[in-house]
Amino acid sequence: MAPGVERSFTAASTIEEALAARRQGAAVLAGGTWMMRDPRRGGELPEAVVALHRIPALSKVEIEPDHVVIGAAVTHAVLGRALHAAVGFEGLVGAAENAANPGIRRVATVGGNLCVLDFAAADLAPALLVCEATVELETFEGAKLLGISDFLKDRHTLLAEAIVTRIHLGRDLVASAHIRLPLRKAGDYPVAIVSIGVDKDKRCRIAVGSVEPVARRWTALEQAMRASPASALDPERAAELALEHNDFQGRDGKEAEGWYRRQVLPSLVKRGIAALLKTGGLAWL
Amino acid sequence: MSELSATVMNLARRDAQDKLRGRTKYTNDRIRPDMLHAVLLRSTVPAGRIRKLDVSAALRCPGVRAVATGADAPGLYGIGIADHPLLAIETIRYHGEPIAVIAAETEKQARAALAAIMLEVEPLAPVFTMAEALQPAARLVHEGWRGYEVITEGGARAGNIAWEARSSRGDVDAAFARPDIRIVESSFTVGRQSHVPFEPRVAIGSWEDGRAHIQTSTQVPWTVRNVTGRVMQLAPGHVRVTVPPVGGGFGLKFDASIEPITALLARMTGRTVVLENTRQEEMATCLCRENAEIRIRSAVTAEGYIAGREAVVLMDCGAYGGEQVFLTTMTAHTLGGNYKVGAMRLVSRAVYTNTPPNGAFRACNGVYNTFALERHTDEICDALGFDPMEFRKKNVLGDGDLGATGQVFEADVLGPMLDRMEALRASTGTSEAKADGRLYGIATTVGTWFVFVGPSAATVNLNADGSATLVTSGVEIGSGTMVQSLPQIVAGQLGLAPDQVIVREADTDAAGLDVGVGGGRTTVSIGAASVAACAEVREKLLRTAGEMLQTRPQDLVLRDGRVEITGRPGSGMSIPAVVAHAQATTGPITGSGAFAARNAPAMAGCAMGHFIDALDIPVFVVHEAEVAVDPDTGHVEVLAYRVVQDVGRALNPRAILGQIQGGVVQGLGYALHEEVTLTADGHIAQDDFETYRLPLAQDVVPVAADLYEGAPSMGPLGTKGAGEVPILAVGAAIGCAVARAIGKPVRQLPLTPPRVLRLLHEREPPPEFPHIAPGWASNTLG
Amino acid sequence: MVVTFQLNGEDCSFHGDPMTPLVDILRRERFLTGTKAVCREGFCGACTVHVDDEAVPSCLKPIGLVQGCAVTTIEGLSSGNQALHPLQASFEAIDAVQCGMCFPGMVMSLSAFMRDNPHASRPEIKAAMVGNICRCTGYERIVDAVADCLDQARKAGRLAGGIDV
Ligand SMILES: Cc1cc2nc3c(=O)[nH]c(=O)nc-3n(C[C@H](O)[C@H](O)[C@H](O)COP(=O)(O)OP(=O)(O)OC[C@H]3O[C@@H](n4cnc5c(N)ncnc54)[C@H](O)[C@@H]3O)c2cc1C
Ligand code: FES
Ligand code: FES
Repeated sequence: MAPGVERSFTAASTIEEALAARRQGAAVLAGGTWMMRDPRRGGELPEAVVALHRIPALSKVEIEPDHVVIGAAVTHAVLGRALHAAVGFEGLVGAAENAANPGIRRVATVGGNLCVLDFAAADLAPALLVCEATVELETFEGAKLLGISDFLKDRHTLLAEAIVTRIHLGRDLVASAHIRLPLRKAGDYPVAIVSIGVDKDKRCRIAVGSVEPVARRWTALEQAMRASPASALDPERAAELALEHNDFQGRDGKEAEGWYRRQVLPSLVKRGIAALLKTGGLAWL
Repeated sequence: MSELSATVMNLARRDAQDKLRGRTKYTNDRIRPDMLHAVLLRSTVPAGRIRKLDVSAALRCPGVRAVATGADAPGLYGIGIADHPLLAIETIRYHGEPIAVIAAETEKQARAALAAIMLEVEPLAPVFTMAEALQPAARLVHEGWRGYEVITEGGARAGNIAWEARSSRGDVDAAFARPDIRIVESSFTVGRQSHVPFEPRVAIGSWEDGRAHIQTSTQVPWTVRNVTGRVMQLAPGHVRVTVPPVGGGFGLKFDASIEPITALLARMTGRTVVLENTRQEEMATCLCRENAEIRIRSAVTAEGYIAGREAVVLMDCGAYGGEQVFLTTMTAHTLGGNYKVGAMRLVSRAVYTNTPPNGAFRACNGVYNTFALERHTDEICDALGFDPMEFRKKNVLGDGDLGATGQVFEADVLGPMLDRMEALRASTGTSEAKADGRLYGIATTVGTWFVFVGPSAATVNLNADGSATLVTSGVEIGSGTMVQSLPQIVAGQLGLAPDQVIVREADTDAAGLDVGVGGGRTTVSIGAASVAACAEVREKLLRTAGEMLQTRPQDLVLRDGRVEITGRPGSGMSIPAVVAHAQATTGPITGSGAFAARNAPAMAGCAMGHFIDALDIPVFVVHEAEVAVDPDTGHVEVLAYRVVQDVGRALNPRAILGQIQGGVVQGLGYALHEEVTLTADGHIAQDDFETYRLPLAQDVVPVAADLYEGAPSMGPLGTKGAGEVPILAVGAAIGCAVARAIGKPVRQLPLTPPRVLRLLHEREPPPEFPHIAPGWASNTLG
Repeated sequence: MVVTFQLNGEDCSFHGDPMTPLVDILRRERFLTGTKAVCREGFCGACTVHVDDEAVPSCLKPIGLVQGCAVTTIEGLSSGNQALHPLQASFEAIDAVQCGMCFPGMVMSLSAFMRDNPHASRPEIKAAMVGNICRCTGYERIVDAVADCLDQARKAGRLAGGIDV
């Protein structure tokens, strides 16, 4: 920032106000847990920011019988608490309650986790892929709804002129699980994540995070499991199929090389199915 | 009450309340708005020649008050050899090396001015590895090595070999030529470990009455004083060093580093100047536990007698010799320790590379030498079919056995400690059930370390209120010696309560020479000097009291704050009354004491280039680990950990157990999580808490520990240092346990999940050292 | 920009860059140096303070977001010569402290945790410590102290008619 220039800071109270600031070039500030580290990474803090925490509509979780709406400024901690008892969301809750550390989870938001560009290890991304979430954006041209998968792929361009406002989830999963693999028990970014959900027809949805630069569904495995439905909920069998259909290109990083991220996937699938079997939702089927 | 029973207790820490309330002022809490902030210009290349360095534009930047370069501090410092400039002079030897420093009114202004320094560097081909450095045609990291001042004589040096220490006892060739032996050879490689003290290196310098005053977070105030004198070409007496409470050291602060820079800038500006490493700087230029390469061969008979042993240990000292020069010594006492060996020869070489300099870290090379020795021992057992526990029981050093340098060890210590470990295991039970389908391994390992003795001084002033003031150059780095064992010792000597003993924080103007807090030496060395000081105090006190009570001094005792007639509790008078009388007649009661190493002898001709030929106070440990390895992901979980530690005498058992828990956990970090690698341009890749993985609460277990007392020690009341050694055999115990769990040899640390998975799938190449010649003698400078 | 907030119960205002991390204001402007800036990246927890009663890292909290909030630092938890917080007393009694640099953050994190989880088990206590690093102690005594303290609070609570911490 040029010397003498005062940084502009807007605490928006409505989405419109936030969008107006955004039009003026302000960057979105949510919890700040990612942005505040930019100087450490050699970047600079934006000259103008607009904070979302005073917009009531973005800070609540609405749970309806057939759908759930999550405000973008909802923190991990609040999300985990809100959905704790909601059947089918065990995976999303697991992601929200085990990412990062407790202090960060009290501050870091859902929107922030999804909008950080170039962060492959985001926990919420695969969990929301499994929920087949819809992302609601407020763009300079008006509101826009987008599947999470497309959002993750295109967020670089999308976010240049938009704010994420809400995440919409259906309630068609009966059980889900989120298996993350940090190198310690917790506290570091997971080197690989497998999120799994199952609907009432016992069809599995599987998403993988942190292995490739952007989280994605594991369609090859989903299809293979659909082809042999009898074994779909057998952990060992699922792990075998995962080994057979492992079509991931692991990314290399300081903490782990690509081969490792790829190699652990079958065992994470195994754990995921085993975890699914322990949920209440599956017991009812 | 005996002297011992008056001293031994679980005394609480007097500094705990302030630390818990956030009131303790560490050095980096003492930064005030009127201070100048210093910021370093650091090299962004690993090797180069400075072609141009022009700071004049930086001097004109807003808020800048001074800029210094190597030309302002031309003296070189080092351990053994003076090879290290304060700021690079002509040559750049590592990525991150300080080249210039700017002092400005604010940190922001100082940082902004960095860009105005004109620096032109001609890059040189970096020498990154010891393999490269030892090539016959390797570029010399120090072209002028021959011209350096040698501070300690005796080490062989040549080119990129900063220092070489050798030990040789008996006819090793003959042992290896015996017809009845089998030869087992193993190679090991280990990475660096970063200390990560919560308070980084930080110093505040001022210029007072023509002298430098440095307040700093250090373990070695006298080294800082002397190094500052050297580099600034001042008499060391022109430097005063004081030390606030230190926020963790672990050996990182056992050398001077940035402190003299603040004195230099204070002299230039007349202002108080603070210099604090950012976390990134701290980690990128950490004086790590060095990476090392080890080859060890043993000749063992079918009966399990170790007839001969030879080893080559290469220690990467990085760009400057530093502690590694000294630590070459410790190979003989660690890799050459633990076991009875017929004939043995060891060479340990500190090798220069264009990487950040390494340093001392809690139990130093003992940690990886013990890992190597214990894994090698297990490989011997595997190859010859011995039970590892029985083999150890049969071969550990006992009374009268010879060490690598021919030192004669006193008493059976390790043997009985192994028995105690079995008893401890019987009492805790084992945890195999917790492995829950994963691969399970258990291993018991032994280790030999020492107390770094060396000179210490103490003064005790007895005050008229019955309190005593202890003045030493000791520093409280968190281990508790300054707030627990030292006041306990002084109180026990003078019949006071420990809270009546005031402990002065280190000030080189107030207390005598001390070689620093580290090497487990504080309780022993400063403790012994304090006991000597108390003896003088006691003598004066009893003489005065004797006159007052008309009793012979030898019939008087000090007890509960009184001078009493022996055998008549409650008789005599209070200490304050005696002190008051003395003050009015013979003068205030003070005593001073000193301590120095005994310098235990080695066998003539056995130790070459050693700073310590034989150990005055050896310290032994037995560590046992139980692990479960996940065969799918390579994650190692520690299920249980047990320690039997030779403490000589436990003055504060609870405090020692706290040190053991903390030391073992640092060792678990080294064994399992903490990894340092270099980027392609020679920068430490893990320079933050995101990438450098310290053990967290969920990664650790409560350590079950048994304190072994009674082994001989020259320490006061029979003490040995207890804070350094708990880390010693953790890499060994974990390495051996994991090897047994996975059924594959473990030859490298840390055992991160990817490495373990590679080992399991036999995709981890065993270490190979083409730069270590097959013949032992070819690896020496003769 | 001007930011007003409550600091240890008193009104406080800050003039300057709204993206300044809270920890820097505490340490450099208010000289409340009990809050430590160790990693400045959210991993170590040494900078933990309470913002509106929630334990959060102050190194990643831009002061602009603190407008109108109540901040409590370690100095505010038991100020002056007030008695120690029971957790602080427990840490002292068990000889948990070593270098001490992590402890203000430990106290701030775990005091809030105890308030919200009076029945926490040992594994739950450890899980709550994922963002609080200690380089010295090896953690177990810290966990012991929290467990003891919860135990005592439960007992005292029962005696006083079932009031939990
Ligand atoms: C110590 C630590 C450990 C971590 N561990 C994990 C982990 O294990 N798993 C994991 O998934 N993550 C982890 N993270 C990352 C963490 O989840 C993110 O930092 C966090 O989710 C970002 O959210 P925030 O609200 O703080 O975002 P901010 O820092 O405020 O913003 C981040 C980015 O997103 C943009 N943004 C935020 N909200 C919106 C919006 N509504 N619309 C448009 N753009 C927006 C901002 O402009 C900015 O570019 C960790 C972070 C830390 C500090
Ligand atoms: S300094 Fe804030 S979490 Fe480490
Ligand atoms: S006591 Fe030193 S970091 Fe915890």
